[in-house]
Amino acid sequence: MTRHLLRLTWNRKGQNCLIVLEILLSFLVLFAVLLFTVNYANNWGRPLGFDVDRVWSIRVRYPTTNTTRAVDADPAETARLSRRFRELFGALSTLSNVEKSAAAFPSVPYLNSTWSTGLGLEGRQVETVANGVTDDFDDVLGVRLLAGRWFSRDDDAAAWQPVVINKRLARELFGDRDPVNQLIPLSDVYIQKHDVLKKPTRVVGVVEDFRHLGEFSMPGNFLFRRLRLDFTDVGTGFSGELSGSHFGGFGPPSVLVIRVTPGTTAGFEETLVKSLQAVAPDWSFDVRPVADMRTDQLRSYITPLALFGTIAGFLLLMVVLGLTGVIWQSVTRRTKEFGLRRAEGASIADVRRQILAEMVLLTSVAVSVGTALLAQLPLLRFSFSANRNAPPPPPEVFAISIVISAAVIYGLTLLCSWYPSRLATRIQPAEALHYE
Amino acid sequence: MLRHYVVLSLKVLLRRKFFTLISIFGVSFTLLVLMVATAILDHKLARMAPETRQDLTLVSAPAQIYGPSSGSCCGGGFRLFDEYAQNLPGAERLSLYTRAGVVYSYVDGRKIDLQMKRTDGEFWKILDFTFLEGRPYTSDEVAQAAFVAVINRTTREKFFTGAAEGNTFEVDAQRFRVIGVVEDVSEFRDVPFADIWTPYTTAKSDTYKTGITGNFNAMILASNAAAMSQIRDEFNARLSRMDRAEFPDPKAYTTIVAPFDTKFETFARSLDVIADRRDPERQGWRLIVAFGSMALLFVLLPTINLVNINTSRILERASEIGIRKAFGASSGALVGQFIIENVILTMAGGLVGLALSLFVLRAINKSGIIAYSQFGLNIRVFGYGLLLALAFGVVSGVYPAWRMSRLHPVEALRGGERR
Repeated sequence: MTRHLLRLTWNRKGQNCLIVLEILLSFLVLFAVLLFTVNYANNWGRPLGFDVDRVWSIRVRYPTTNTTRAVDADPAETARLSRRFRELFGALSTLSNVEKSAAAFPSVPYLNSTWSTGLGLEGRQVETVANGVTDDFDDVLGVRLLAGRWFSRDDDAAAWQPVVINKRLARELFGDRDPVNQLIPLSDVYIQKHDVLKKPTRVVGVVEDFRHLGEFSMPGNFLFRRLRLDFTDVGTGFSGELSGSHFGGFGPPSVLVIRVTPGTTAGFEETLVKSLQAVAPDWSFDVRPVADMRTDQLRSYITPLALFGTIAGFLLLMVVLGLTGVIWQSVTRRTKEFGLRRAEGASIADVRRQILAEMVLLTSVAVSVGTALLAQLPLLRFSFSANRNAPPPPPEVFAISIVISAAVIYGLTLLCSWYPSRLATRIQPAEALHYE
Repeated sequence: MLRHYVVLSLKVLLRRKFFTLISIFGVSFTLLVLMVATAILDHKLARMAPETRQDLTLVSAPAQIYGPSSGSCCGGGFRLFDEYAQNLPGAERLSLYTRAGVVYSYVDGRKIDLQMKRTDGEFWKILDFTFLEGRPYTSDEVAQAAFVAVINRTTREKFFTGAAEGNTFEVDAQRFRVIGVVEDVSEFRDVPFADIWTPYTTAKSDTYKTGITGNFNAMILASNAAAMSQIRDEFNARLSRMDRAEFPDPKAYTTIVAPFDTKFETFARSLDVIADRRDPERQGWRLIVAFGSMALLFVLLPTINLVNINTSRILERASEIGIRKAFGASSGALVGQFIIENVILTMAGGLVGLALSLFVLRAINKSGIIAYSQFGLNIRVFGYGLLLALAFGVVSGVYPAWRMSRLHPVEALRGGERR
């Protein structure tokens, strides 16, 4: 029976080849949409690492000729900027609606701003996202530590740069060892190149994760550096010791975050901007509740997927209708053949089964070829994200997407041949044999 | 003969309504997607008000400044253009303006967010805005740092009832007097687009004047088409001669690239997935290759689907073909007949797709996803649509027609296929 089936299919290889190609392409289209869906669903359930309830972000724009020179090469500018930031925090502390405040460079959750860096170790490089934050950042955003501690004034006099890293980065750097209080083993070449790191970098705390790009984003490596705003005079403190960059190796803060008291309404925004503006009339402030930014960002993930999902849905509908037509016609043309089989004693169910089995055979060829092609994707480490350093989806996401796509494709092709298979057996064998 | 084919194919198409319907469904959906994409690209790139002189206009691409191990991106400063783009040979006008940036205004406790562009006076001479009220600000007013603003229609409705000229409003803690009101410009037209335009001298601080990098753009009106590549080359040459001490970080950076491009080239360069922004040469071909391959990939599945349906339809008509062959019809005639039949089918599908795309485009306009967008179908887009339908019809008709022409008359008459 199987050999008979194979021979029949082979005999009509011209058209079957095109049908297989059509099924293969449908499989790939479905897979592409499912890969993103499954990946988003997979990421959704993972720990986020912060809580944005009642958190507002205040982006600051200050006049500077250009960020690199003004800040790196001009200690007076650094001192002036850090004084201005301290004044802003002073103004924030007088507002009764503000519970806590902190500053960050370059990013707070959902801001869509990422600073990636490669940490040069001996013999390898570890890519991580890095964020500079002030001492109260963990309180504002409800960051919980798994081990160790957050930054504090105690680090002022330390002979090393304190960093807090996430679990994934800790594992990549130190394996199973306890990361707290370990020095990151940066290579000499790397330290030479980044003179800001002439102090050794020490891990003081570990967090579960900090997925600043939101619920749908891929979990990756994350590192917090301590951002300091306490340079009083040129040549003292941190800035005096470091030959190049200030603010702990980063630019000055680009965004402030505050946690407002419960019951604070949107109307407070105007008061907030006015009091900041009073301190820094030549600066601009862009206030937004982080929850609103979250909505926007989730939409930025969902909208393209919904668009491609809709297009893919219509493409599949088109394929289902097309294949139904093709099989219908082919079954009609083979009425004589089926009549002969019935006359030789095959039951109605046998004939139907033959038609469905032919379809399953074609689908299997398409799905096998498709799976073989798609299996190359995880090997290519294609990252599927605008951030090229983001890790690719884990292999199980690929596997699940392939399995679901295959199941749906089998279902659809069987659906396409179900109605024609009923038609084929409606005619009596005797009638079918002289059917023209 | 052609008329005969047309009548025949209409008869055939009406005889098998199910096949015709599924074919038209596939074709119209495919063309709908292509038409919407075409209309959006047309709205983004075609010459239209206020960019009526677009064919003679060059716009600077976001400056890239980089060295062997580090790079910084995205934006030329005021001085880059004020010092290096003046008096380029063949340039009639030069305008400097900032990128649109969001600013906020609070009116009666209500927050209004607006896109503001700070420009010079030349901006209004190169671009051709439709003024509903008042006039643009002049170069003199820019030099005096007058706190005047041109606003668009929607912003007028947000701040004022009735006419706005002469009234003042506050935004980002600065108070401006409305001097003119213009028609809304789509967000997709990124050169003219903004809600509020103000003189760049009204910036909160004048530190922008010293920057080689920053958030400024420049636009040049060429005296004639031949001068355009000359302008481009001369500016690139000036930048390559620039003293490295001018760079924000002379230690790290060695090269600055900020080429003046046409609309199409600027768009290609702005897509950093496909463009090499550090290459001062034109990037348009990459856009053509990328969009072309995307379109081809997209039509692959619908084409194969249609080929399969067509092949089935032809085999069904084997006896008809057999008779025609037996009576001496050449393969060429049969192929021609079938391709015409298929083109009629795709044209019908194309028209349905075109009608549907009108609804989709209107829905996008209404949704406000793209501020002030005016996506629509014009003669040009309509023409592209018909061309696409024609190409689709020919491509999906060739293989089945070839299969048909190979049918052996005797086999065909018996309703079979020669293996």
